[in-house]
Amino acid sequence: MTSDTPTDHELLTAAAGGDAAAFEVFVVRHRGAVYRYVHSLTKNVTDAEDVLQQTFLAAWRAAADARVEHGARPFLFTIARHALHRLHRSHVLITEDTVSLEELGSRAGFAAPHVTAERLAQAVEERAILAAAIEDLPPLEREVLQMRDLDGLSGDQVAAALGIGLEAMKSRLHRARLRLVAEVRRRVPTEDCL
Amino acid sequence: MNTPQQNGGLRCSEVLADLSAYCDGELSGSRRAAIEAHVRACPDCARFGGAFAATLRALREQLSAPADVPADVAARLAAALRRSRTG
Repeated sequence: MTSDTPTDHELLTAAAGGDAAAFEVFVVRHRGAVYRYVHSLTKNVTDAEDVLQQTFLAAWRAAADARVEHGARPFLFTIARHALHRLHRSHVLITEDTVSLEELGSRAGFAAPHVTAERLAQAVEERAILAAAIEDLPPLEREVLQMRDLDGLSGDQVAAALGIGLEAMKSRLHRARLRLVAEVRRRVPTEDCL
Repeated sequence: MNTPQQNGGLRCSEVLADLSAYCDGELSGSRRAAIEAHVRACPDCARFGGAFAATLRALREQLSAPADVPADVAARLAAALRRSRTG
């Protein structure tokens, strides 16, 4: 390691050489994000913990070959996603819905001149409302939103982790964001929106 | 709002479709200028765009930092990794 705050690449390089302490630092750095990701999709603590362990065990074994120059989250999320799919949980393997963009926009308050945008903006400042709104998103949309907006992965990194093209990722992300606004709006008392 | 109304050469529905790309800074200069011209002339799109952007901002500010895993989960993870190295 070359600095006080080693990069993911440095930690995994050391781990590949058998440095268990370096890998422990790596695990502590990322376990919360991986757990949040898998738990948000499984909504089951046992499955989430199972996938968490599988992910870091696989990361340890693959440390020598991991490409993490731009951060390890895409690498870890890709492993976790494969492990999730191996669980064959029907609630994880959901296909995308077919609601049109205009319909999603309408639910979010687009084309609704009476909606109080200020009240919506106020509502999203309430952490509990925002967190609950995320929980009600379809899993595929929750997944892309989490990777892009919560974990800060680049568009290319998210697309690679999801195994889809960049344009498909952007489309899914936009739908997720619109649905999030709709879910927040649904939680604003009706009288505040009229 | 998403009727044939056009401002800045765009319909409201086109603004809706480009909101994420606008917020992510992915639009060309001319497209960005057209969106901004539309929004200046369309109070409904201005309000909705404001709420959309505020939601993204709040999401990133409030929820981006993940909590650590529960202590018992962390302990079992560490034990599993130890076993894999010694087994």
